[in-house]
Amino acid sequence: MSAITTKSISAASLALAMGAALSLAAAPATAQDRMADKEKCFGVALKGKNDCKAGAGTTCAGTSKVDYQGNAWSLVPKGSCEKTASPSSPTGHGQLAEFKEKKA
Amino acid sequence: MMPKLVQPASPAGGVAAPGAASLPPRCGLGLKPEHFRGILETQPNVGFFEIHAENYMVAGGPLHHYLTQIRSHYPLSIHGVGLSIGGEGGLDAAHLDRLAALIDRYAPESFSEHLAWSSHGGVFLDDLLPLPYDRDSLSRVCAHVDQVQTRLGRRMLLENPATYVEFAASTFTEAEFIGEVVARTGCGLLLDVNNAYVSGVNHGRDPWACIEALPLAATGQIHLAGFARDVDAAGDPLLIDTHGAPVSQAVWALYRKVLERVGPMPTLIERDSDIPPLPVLLAEARRAEGLLQAVAGSFKGNAGPPQVSLPPTGGGLGGAWPWGRSGVAP
Amino acid sequence: MSTRHDFARALLDPELPCPAGLVAWNGSNPARRFQVYRNNVLVALVDALASNFVVTHELVGEAFFRAMAAVHVRAHPPRSPVLACYGADFPAFIASFIPAAGLPYLADVARLEYLRAVACHAADVSPVGEGALAAQLADEGGLPGLRFALHPSLAVLPSRFAVVSLWAAHQGVGDLAAVVPDVAETALVLRTGLEVEVIEIPPASGVFIAALQSGRPLGRAAEEATALGAGFDLAATLGLLLQKSAITTLHPSRSTP
Repeated sequence: MSAITTKSISAASLALAMGAALSLAAAPATAQDRMADKEKCFGVALKGKNDCKAGAGTTCAGTSKVDYQGNAWSLVPKGSCEKTASPSSPTGHGQLAEFKEKKA
Repeated sequence: MMPKLVQPASPAGGVAAPGAASLPPRCGLGLKPEHFRGILETQPNVGFFEIHAENYMVAGGPLHHYLTQIRSHYPLSIHGVGLSIGGEGGLDAAHLDRLAALIDRYAPESFSEHLAWSSHGGVFLDDLLPLPYDRDSLSRVCAHVDQVQTRLGRRMLLENPATYVEFAASTFTEAEFIGEVVARTGCGLLLDVNNAYVSGVNHGRDPWACIEALPLAATGQIHLAGFARDVDAAGDPLLIDTHGAPVSQAVWALYRKVLERVGPMPTLIERDSDIPPLPVLLAEARRAEGLLQAVAGSFKGNAGPPQVSLPPTGGGLGGAWPWGRSGVAP
Repeated sequence: MSTRHDFARALLDPELPCPAGLVAWNGSNPARRFQVYRNNVLVALVDALASNFVVTHELVGEAFFRAMAAVHVRAHPPRSPVLACYGADFPAFIASFIPAAGLPYLADVARLEYLRAVACHAADVSPVGEGALAAQLADEGGLPGLRFALHPSLAVLPSRFAVVSLWAAHQGVGDLAAVVPDVAETALVLRTGLEVEVIEIPPASGVFIAALQSGRPLGRAAEEATALGAGFDLAATLGLLLQKSAITTLHPSRSTP
């Protein structure tokens, strides 16, 4: 960003903006609606990550040599992404099969 | 550009212990974020709440907000799961500092940790792993418990583990090993009855005999939890300490026998996975309270529960410390 | 000496044999018992990632997420016993994880989720009083050199992808099928009270806020944002920061760099 050529902004226009900002903040509806139309408040999962729980009843998840050796590398995402439009980038869904069995 | 106006989550900047300096001999519950609001709204009649220290080693936000409020109404137990007291290397000093800060902030009535390790070579493995019970481990564990008690300026309780393997190198039984640690460091015992049962079954021993061999006089708290069933390579039962089910009948029966031996004792119902609604846990807690009250009645006429017979004071820490300490420095 | 070392290595690498020196009371093969520990470690750490990357998980589905997370956990196990913010390297890992290459936006969605986790647990800091800001207005000449400390939970994420829309669609806001993933969006993440918010802001506002956060004075930050030429609205951006209690300290200075 330091490379950007900047034009000077006067102290007076900063003062004007700051004054407007203070009144915008005092009147929530206008400022917020325009800037934050996609805002949504949700609590982040607070779930305790440091708990003493052993993997319930199964002894296989950490142990499969198949998983370790390459299963992860042949999987294809199968979740809500299937509902999204395919990005226009060259690596669309159709190419996933070609990455089978490769390791990074 | 560091923020200057740090506002503590509580107006006092910390919470004084409400009254007693030790947990009441009642049943408590593990504190889960799922239940924060329900607890504050309904103020259930619970003896205490217990948190896992590492979950609260964050700067601010909702965890501290709710814990501060809940702590102002209930006694608190802080239970560490990440110190790696049974580790081969030295304790993580930065982690011990974080723990000390948390304990300063919330002034819990009890602090406990595990006879287990969870970090090695700078990597945290997030499980309570087993150690060989030999002289080498003993001197390390004692040194680590000493270090923790000295840094925190208080006595800690050490929890007996649930284990799935044993080591050919072990020269002590688990009970002998814990007995030595208690005698040498003056720490107390957090008797996890479920762990004793799980380990007993997993290693082909009578769980009650394993419990009886522990230094029961040093018991400061009891844990109860549920397990899952699996089998080992020979088809023998292998119980998994999931904390994901109600307390089993076998563990309730052992708990009753333990109470008859040690008297009323702060008792925790642990549930860390498949966490049910608060009323379900409260019902389990009431069952424990029933046993606690029954045993309190039978202990009333007597001189009370057996006195915790700590070893004579002595050794390097001097008389200013609230716990005894004796024996050979490891 | 090497008991714990062999044990620890074998936990994260199932191609290694069960460590030597383990026994079972009935003489059965201890490898089966050791698997319980392998399982515990992997499941616990994958779960820790899953709870910080909920939308990433939903986007790729359970099987893919857990397989990808397991590869990451083995390559980058946590270095601290505090797992609240485990996964700092996970977005970069996703960007290089070839099976996820068909979802080029996935790493940025993960970045957004990680910023939310950090914001959730950031320190509690009170906002600067509006009186103090109003007082600054009286000293117009000092405004260009005025520096701000912003709330420790605040972060700006400029993305080539529609990160906010993708994330919001998983919270029931907007239709996922209608989101065009490769439309650039800038996210502002911060905690107000107990809630972590994700707000889409114009790219120039993102440049301005990031400049303030890195310690540049008001005049300089506004100039950088204006230089983008995309109609930067200084009043609205400052208004948003005030509205969200995001300005925590003012550092007046006459010396503009």
